[in-house]
Amino acid sequence: MDDQGCPRCKTTKYRNPSLKLMVNVCGHTLCENCVEMLFVRGSGNCVQCDTPLRKSNFRLQLFEDPAIDKEVEIRKKVLKIYNKRDFDFPSLREYNDYLEQVEEIVYNLTNNVDVESTKQMMEHYQRENRDIIQRNKAKLTREQEELEELLLLEQQDSQQRRLETLQEEKRQLQAKRKSKQALLDELENSQLPASILLAQHKDRAAQLETQIEKQKQSVKPATIFSTGILKGQTVSLAPVAHIEEVLYKYQPLHIETFGPPVPGLEQLDRIGCRGDFSAVSRETLTPIIQEVITWYLNHVRTATPQDLAGGYTSGLACHRALQDAFSGLFPSLI
Amino acid sequence: MKLNIDGLLVYFPYDYIYPEQYSYMLELKRTLDAKGHGVLEMPSGTGKTISLLSLIVAYQRTYPLEVTKLIYCSRTVPEIEKVIEELRKLMEFYTKETGEKNNFLALALSSRKNLCIHPEILHANIVVYSYHYLLDPKIADLVSKELAKKSVVVFDEAHNIDNVCIDSMSVNITRRTLDRCQTNVETLQNTIQRIKETDAAKLREEYRRLVEGLKEANVARETDIYLSNPVLPDEILQEAVPGSIRTAEHFVGFLKRFLEYLKARLRIHHVVQESSPQFLKDIYEKVCIDRKPLRFCAERLRSLLRTLEIADIADFSAVTLISNFATLVSTYSKGFTIIIEPFEDKTPTIVNPVLHFSCMDPSIAIKPVFERFQSVIITSGTLSPLDIYPRILDFRPVTMASFTMTLARTCLCPLIVGRGNDQVAMSSKFETREDFAVIRNYGNLLLEMSAIVPDGIVAFFTSYVYMENIVASWYEQGILENIQRNKLIFIETQDAAETSMALEKYQEACENGRGAILLSVARGKVSEGIDFVHHFGRAVIMFGVPYVYTQSRILKARLEYLRDQFQIRENDFLTFDAMRHAAQCVGRAIRGKTDYGLMIFADKRYARADKRGKLPRWIQEHITDGSLNLTIDETVQLSKHFLRQMAQPFRREDQLGLSLLTLEQLQSEEMLQKISQIAQQV
Repeated sequence: MDDQGCPRCKTTKYRNPSLKLMVNVCGHTLCENCVEMLFVRGSGNCVQCDTPLRKSNFRLQLFEDPAIDKEVEIRKKVLKIYNKRDFDFPSLREYNDYLEQVEEIVYNLTNNVDVESTKQMMEHYQRENRDIIQRNKAKLTREQEELEELLLLEQQDSQQRRLETLQEEKRQLQAKRKSKQALLDELENSQLPASILLAQHKDRAAQLETQIEKQKQSVKPATIFSTGILKGQTVSLAPVAHIEEVLYKYQPLHIETFGPPVPGLEQLDRIGCRGDFSAVSRETLTPIIQEVITWYLNHVRTATPQDLAGGYTSGLACHRALQDAFSGLFPSLI
Repeated sequence: MKLNIDGLLVYFPYDYIYPEQYSYMLELKRTLDAKGHGVLEMPSGTGKTISLLSLIVAYQRTYPLEVTKLIYCSRTVPEIEKVIEELRKLMEFYTKETGEKNNFLALALSSRKNLCIHPEILHANIVVYSYHYLLDPKIADLVSKELAKKSVVVFDEAHNIDNVCIDSMSVNITRRTLDRCQTNVETLQNTIQRIKETDAAKLREEYRRLVEGLKEANVARETDIYLSNPVLPDEILQEAVPGSIRTAEHFVGFLKRFLEYLKARLRIHHVVQESSPQFLKDIYEKVCIDRKPLRFCAERLRSLLRTLEIADIADFSAVTLISNFATLVSTYSKGFTIIIEPFEDKTPTIVNPVLHFSCMDPSIAIKPVFERFQSVIITSGTLSPLDIYPRILDFRPVTMASFTMTLARTCLCPLIVGRGNDQVAMSSKFETREDFAVIRNYGNLLLEMSAIVPDGIVAFFTSYVYMENIVASWYEQGILENIQRNKLIFIETQDAAETSMALEKYQEACENGRGAILLSVARGKVSEGIDFVHHFGRAVIMFGVPYVYTQSRILKARLEYLRDQFQIRENDFLTFDAMRHAAQCVGRAIRGKTDYGLMIFADKRYARADKRGKLPRWIQEHITDGSLNLTIDETVQLSKHFLRQMAQPFRREDQLGLSLLTLEQLQSEEMLQKISQIAQQV
């Protein structure tokens, strides 16, 4: 790239390696100085192709071939408008056709073929698909942010792991040194014979070795968060769709027994062996009649205060027994 | 002889057999029965090739449905030739014994001169070729696609297989490559222009095919796609080429943009290290190139070259390389790293920007092989420590075994020399490399050895620079002159022609006269391929521990990756790598049981348990506690004693019953018991 010369002041590029080349929309290069000079005189036409230019359109040249710079500029502008993605299309074939269409547009604009009609087509498309364009733009920025976050996380992770392994190794070395030192101290001070001390030391060293081995194997690269989500999985931050369902209504179970109905829980002390007296008030029942009739409830042991505290009433047991008895009476033959 | 190995009838074309060969065949049969993978270490020069071939051929004949093919992968063409020789002998033996003509077909693919015709591979029972045809994804789909699942793959001399895998997936791009690519792209553009004027139908036809998503008939096979793209799910592989690179002009424009981007990246002044996703993000920001078209780049280029009917593909090697790089960088998000250096470390003043796209995970290239074929055997003479290979290549073997040599007389003598006569420790550690005393001690060692060892001595250094420094110092100290009074000195250089001439003259000198010394380098051509049998190598001296250049950024990235993924410590891996090269070097001297040699490890660090433990079992068992940390004088004494003993006549009859067995001896009870102790499972 350094052997390129500015088309206007050719010599300056070789003599001054720090000079930068600029490219404009027509695809021709000019060095910085020449750009200044061109606009000092007020005229804004390209030296080689005489197209009218604006000073702000000049960009620093990144590539050796200025045509590529021009194409990249055009492509970026086109892609801002034509930014549909593969999930916007029902089939892969249509997406590929769309891509080819985009390429045609870029090709035409770069090589100055049918520029006017292409521009009109672009404006037409832009007007029609305004909302899709907006939505995809938002999605793209969000995805890029997520990607950057992930990369950053990965880097931090690997740095942390590195630190951890270094610390682990240091700790192991220290442990080894300590045990050796301990052996020497023991040999100096203790009364036991040397062979026993050596055997103890060997034991301890072996234990340390197995510990280290176990640690080596247990270290697994952490790839899953504690909730089970894989690291690196893109979790969508869109709100979860609200699903409206039918409310559940409780329908009690109804069994057809073709017989007399089971007495209710509250009526157990009003219904007895001689009939249903729930409609009669208590006062009219003379004590004699009361004696003769044995209410259902009398057949069950009365609940002690402890039972009542727990929530148990004798009616429950009685009701249950009655239900058992009635259910066996007239079974429905299905 | 005819052997019975665990119920299988095996024809062995020799009358005598080594016990470890029998043990090896037993382990191999068990691995094949289990239909799993195996890692087997057997010392060099003990007839590994013929054991492998005779057992697998016998298995194929007995169970033709279980094992349909044998795929034997080797490293170099001479090795392939040796295998074919053994195979020929085996086939002759079969015809002689069974009296019927066998219908086994064996094919060898060696180089471009000996191209094979594809359909023949379908019918062949045995295929012999180089590793790359199976591991390199660019070649694998062309050559290895018709291979059935029920095949046995054998990787011989596979101690360097992880490096082969890594190299096959790595790409280096320099400024020159990009310039050549530019010319290629321009040629493509002109050709397209020309074809449009003369015969536009071809381009239209290609366009139509791409639109329909039809693949070429021989590209859309499940097998070869799997081999060349191991980590992509099937739906993506069957996808059509994206619309943005359908027409030829658009594709050429796409290539131009990508090329310009690479050129811009190479114009940096400091080192940059990135991961694949970061690189792709940058590409998208700078030139709006998406990931999907990059992935289909190689395929699209192939299709274009075919349509334009370009005959001489070699001219387009630069653009093929770039398109391969594009496909690789967009396919794999983990396990690769991109390092861009403005100049090489060793020549900081010369501007030479280069982009290294290096694979850090060898399992990526070899995973399709392990998953596709039912049995893969990795074997070599120096695979210790065995458990590292399953970890870095990410597979689960059913067998991991290391074999020793049964010897009637101990024909190897490994000695670890740690000190000179002045008790100064000898080492090739970076800090002590310039130390006058260390260099003088090394010189003394070589001088003493040259006086007592007959015929040839081979000495290995850790690097070319180190070797040159030491030899220059020796010259100044006058040691070289003294050595030359005893033997001639030959030296290996980085030039291939000079080295082969030095080798030739070395061999001539060993044949007549007092012999010679060959100074070479541990990772050079000599240590990888040349055997020093009998009088060509009576002693091997390993000067220092051959660590690889540890400051290289690619290596550092790889070590980090290994630590993060496989929990292999950096130190462990570097030591493992150094020791396997050291073992390879010293293994050059022994090729057979009648051969004998001294193995001298001249560095005090070899005496440490972590390094000694990484030597192969068949060397380790001969290192006694008395041979650690010797001085030069003690070494000379021990060597003299050893050489005198070895020089006594040793006939085959002395070996019979111990290290060489006839069929009757093999079948005795005690022998079978001894054999079961030879293999050590890991």
